Amino acid sequence: MTILQKFKDIAVRSPWIYRINAGSCNGCDVEMATTALIPRYDVERLGCQYCGSPRHADIVLISGPLTRHVVDAARRVFDEIPDPKVTVAVGVCPISGGIFRESYAVLAPIDDYFPIDVNVPGCPPRPQAIIEGIAQAIQVWRQRL
Amino acid sequence: MSTQVAVILSVLLFPGGLFALTLGLALKGVDRRVAARLQGRVGPPLTQPFIDLVKLAFKRTMVPTTACEPVFLGAPLVGVVSMLAAAALVPISGLYTPEPILGNLLVVLYLLVIPGIVLMVAGSSSSSPYGAIGFSREMVLMLAYEGPIVLVAAAVALRVGMAEGHVATFSLVEIVAYQRTHSIFLLDPVMWPALGAFCLFFPANLGIVPFDIPEAETEVLEGPVLEYSGPALGLFKVMSALKAVVVLGLGIALFAPLGLSGAPALLGWLAEIAVLMVLGVTAVRLSAGRMRIDQAFSFFFKWPLLLSAASVAAIALV
Repeated sequence: MTILQKFKDIAVRSPWIYRINAGSCNGCDVEMATTALIPRYDVERLGCQYCGSPRHADIVLISGPLTRHVVDAARRVFDEIPDPKVTVAVGVCPISGGIFRESYAVLAPIDDYFPIDVNVPGCPPRPQAIIEGIAQAIQVWRQRL
Repeated sequence: MSTQVAVILSVLLFPGGLFALTLGLALKGVDRRVAARLQGRVGPPLTQPFIDLVKLAFKRTMVPTTACEPVFLGAPLVGVVSMLAAAALVPISGLYTPEPILGNLLVVLYLLVIPGIVLMVAGSSSSSPYGAIGFSREMVLMLAYEGPIVLVAAAVALRVGMAEGHVATFSLVEIVAYQRTHSIFLLDPVMWPALGAFCLFFPANLGIVPFDIPEAETEVLEGPVLEYSGPALGLFKVMSALKAVVVLGLGIALFAPLGLSGAPALLGWLAEIAVLMVLGVTAVRLSAGRMRIDQAFSFFFKWPLLLSAASVAAIALV
């Protein structure tokens, strides 16, 4: 194992998280912000940290069915995140549109617009599922680093 | 020649450079771990700040097209260099005496201003509106806390100077030596108001919660450092780690240098710094909410200024 590989193995223990709300009903966001990630299940023990700026982020959590209104803004924010980055879609909405699926305002399968690496289905997903999604994203991130 | 070698070693190795950086990052790790435990969480490993730095080295640095690139990338370098120099200036009682050529208390105060200026320059050169808000808030906060810290320094300098027969002594070495032969200022009632003012100053200088108004994550998304990523952001982390060591070390040199020497002196100094970090930073940032910038401004012009002025007046009159 080279020294570079060793440093990469260290680096992978510091995934910083950024959330993009692409038209979510806020259910998944509440699960992410208040239950799954910070106070109760504490992903900080994995080295995760919420960051306010997309430029600091490594793992992006996208929630919501991607409404027509938000698609340009969401793509712009996504492009601001420096490589290497990993994208996690949280909730069932990014997969199929969920309860909004036949709406004219929704561009639902989000994969057409963003390169999604991990899907965490659920409406909203359980905190444990979100944490597992992040753990899988870390595995993907290790290969990209 | 030997003086130059000693100066370079003290800036790059001990107590500046490598030593201060390791200590600063370790202190940050302790801070995050203790904070998590106080909130009933497990918390990150103690080495997390080191891991974060390694990670940032692997990321790409993005420069906004509208930013002024040389200033944008140069600002954090200036901050790191200023803090390296400042770390070599602060004596450790019984262990490290800075070369007289490096400077005295006044030089430390000037160097401590630079990280704030660097944040202002970084925020305004990034061309981000949040950076501009951070810039103006940093400037207001700095105007507020610089007055009290100058008076604290004046109080200490007057106290030592008048006891030794001249007006004021700004040499940190003499201040530490005086406290080693007499009593430390922590036990001197005349100095208590100045100590209180210093305890209010350093959270503002380190930018932690009641006074983290320029970088407020939830309001201005980390303000001045919003546009930084990768190694450039890492330099800001290095700067703030070094700054924590400088400011806490300065507090110890001014108010409570231990009368030990050799290895016990190092252990005692590390223990003092750790206690100051946990009580003065972690406990404060967990138990307070963020002030508004106008509240912080009027707060600093009320209590710390009053306290430090009281100390100076008491010393001058007694």
